[in-house]
Amino acid sequence: MKRLSQITVGAMAGAAIGLTGMPAQAQTTLNVLTAGSQNMVDYVNDYLAPLFESQNPGVKVVVAGTGPGASGSQKILEKLDAQKKAGKEVWDVDVAVVHQQQAGQMREADLLGKFRDDIETGALVTRDTAKNALGVDVDGYVMPMFHSQTAIAYNSDLVSTPPASYDELIDWTKANPGQFGYNGIKNGMSGVSFVVGWMYAYSGEADVLAKGPYDPSLKDTWGGVLSDLKAFNENITFTPGNAGTLDMLNRGEIVMGPVWVDMFYTWQADGRIPPNLKLKLIGPGMPGQPMYYITPAKAENADLARKFIALATSPDVQAEGIVKRFNWYPGIDANFVQDSLEPADWNKLFADVSPEDLATKGKAFPIGPFFTDIREAYEQQVQN
Amino acid sequence: MTSTATHGRARLLALLLVSPALLTVGLLFVYPLGFSLVTAFTGEQGGWTTANFVKAFDFYSNDIIFTVVIVVLSTILIGLGAIAIGGYLTLGEHPVAVAILKWLYRWPLFIPFIVAGQIMRTFLAKNGLMNNIFVSTGLLDPLQTTSLLDWRGIVITFVWKQTPFVALLVAGAMASLDRSTIEAARNLGAKRMRILFEIIVPQILPTIVIGLILSFVIMMSVLSVPLMINAQTPTMLTVDMAFRINAYGDYGVANALGFISYLMTGVVAWIYLRQGVRQGGAP
Repeated sequence: MKRLSQITVGAMAGAAIGLTGMPAQAQTTLNVLTAGSQNMVDYVNDYLAPLFESQNPGVKVVVAGTGPGASGSQKILEKLDAQKKAGKEVWDVDVAVVHQQQAGQMREADLLGKFRDDIETGALVTRDTAKNALGVDVDGYVMPMFHSQTAIAYNSDLVSTPPASYDELIDWTKANPGQFGYNGIKNGMSGVSFVVGWMYAYSGEADVLAKGPYDPSLKDTWGGVLSDLKAFNENITFTPGNAGTLDMLNRGEIVMGPVWVDMFYTWQADGRIPPNLKLKLIGPGMPGQPMYYITPAKAENADLARKFIALATSPDVQAEGIVKRFNWYPGIDANFVQDSLEPADWNKLFADVSPEDLATKGKAFPIGPFFTDIREAYEQQVQN
Repeated sequence: MTSTATHGRARLLALLLVSPALLTVGLLFVYPLGFSLVTAFTGEQGGWTTANFVKAFDFYSNDIIFTVVIVVLSTILIGLGAIAIGGYLTLGEHPVAVAILKWLYRWPLFIPFIVAGQIMRTFLAKNGLMNNIFVSTGLLDPLQTTSLLDWRGIVITFVWKQTPFVALLVAGAMASLDRSTIEAARNLGAKRMRILFEIIVPQILPTIVIGLILSFVIMMSVLSVPLMINAQTPTMLTVDMAFRINAYGDYGVANALGFISYLMTGVVAWIYLRQGVRQGGAP
């Protein structure tokens, strides 16, 4: 008994030393949340956090992923919203990475801190998406982490001249039934993106869809466009997801399909898809999207959060981390990034999709309400 | 006087003992069920409406029919498979074959649906394991292969996964039968098929029905298999429910689809309860 109590006292003392000892090594914890797949968490954990910690002694970066897709961003939104409604003075998130639609909703719910003018890299952003998130004015409240883009991947051994537009693609699928594959709208965003591109091409209202104003009656005019898409679907193969399209391309079960450009290059670098697959961004265009860095309105470490985002959007980090390691297009203006990169690394990013293509055919997703209308109309008129 | 007091205390004690179970059922089952039923009939701006159901049928009528067809077809095949396995275990004459079957048939029981889905995805694909075996053994040309990753894949996965479950129940019931009827039929010269379908199956029919009803309800609730295997449309209702919530945050239509699923399982639950009443109130 006596011996046991000695051990207990010893253990408690040890624990107390451990507890008081810890803050001496890291006085401050910077809490980072990120939506998206595992690669997003890896990016911060393996690359960004160690870099930031080495530049800021005494700071520990703790990062957590909230899951892929819009539902990951939705969780961050709900967490901040709950803390606001609970009347908390300090929120336990310092930096978050979110999708466009939720960034807009956070801005509307007054959950975001304004910071872009406070950091020196804020001036390096030129794209419209830094100011406008699917129709919501977010100017000053977000910094694009990267841009991603969808394009058509094809097997260059079997297709020497790929279709350059939706019109040509339709003819191609008629001549090669079952050889084009996409994942519908329920299994990932590359399929959604293909459908949005179809609407931009044939609804005749691409500008209104992308910029507003919202008109609820517009969806009633889509009958013909969607029945054409239904006819198009007769000649194609459905794939089970973003990765599913790449899998089927790899196994040779389809020879063409819409994919995310960054995923495509990463898989190709890993040897998971063969080098004879190439990309084509078809006209009139397909959508892409940024992910944003945001900092909540009442972040505990607001200054440190700004410093973190400034580092993450600096030309060197954008070059090494975003472009070279993860094959994303930079969030800040590409011209500032190009100087920090070897020409080979830079050219790899634009091997198939040229900067001109990207500028003319890289579109934004539609504003929120139209986006919902498009997906619902597809479910109602194409799938059912 | 004292006896009533003791009686009352005993009753209170009994209520206290039951209350954790009641509370658990109430909080984790009755409340969410009631809540989802109410949400199914509630409009976006509040108030009672059937708009969610109108939308559910407008968007997903094909999927509703598809779900019924897939699950009913799978249930029938599972029943046939379970009777075949149970029958061979009971009537099989080759002891080694019986022992091997006994050892093998339960394996899928221990594999979760999502893993089964992943296995089938690589097995049934156009250039998947199954077709590759057929091609390398010369049974098929590479050009003749087709992908089974559509409604057929769902049925194959469901049958593969659920047959052992029903077979386990069926084989147990068959083993506990009085063997004298089987031996008598054998002595009179009946073939094994005839013994199986005219003597054994009628006696264990209630067990088969209950096993199939439980499988029906389980298959109605599986999300991972249709999500992973069937990229086509139509698809199963669970996929649509998940999509309504994940893509639009629309719990109304999702719950309306859930209500339609309840109705389908409600019909088979009613059969299950009737069966229980007929057996003396012990379902």
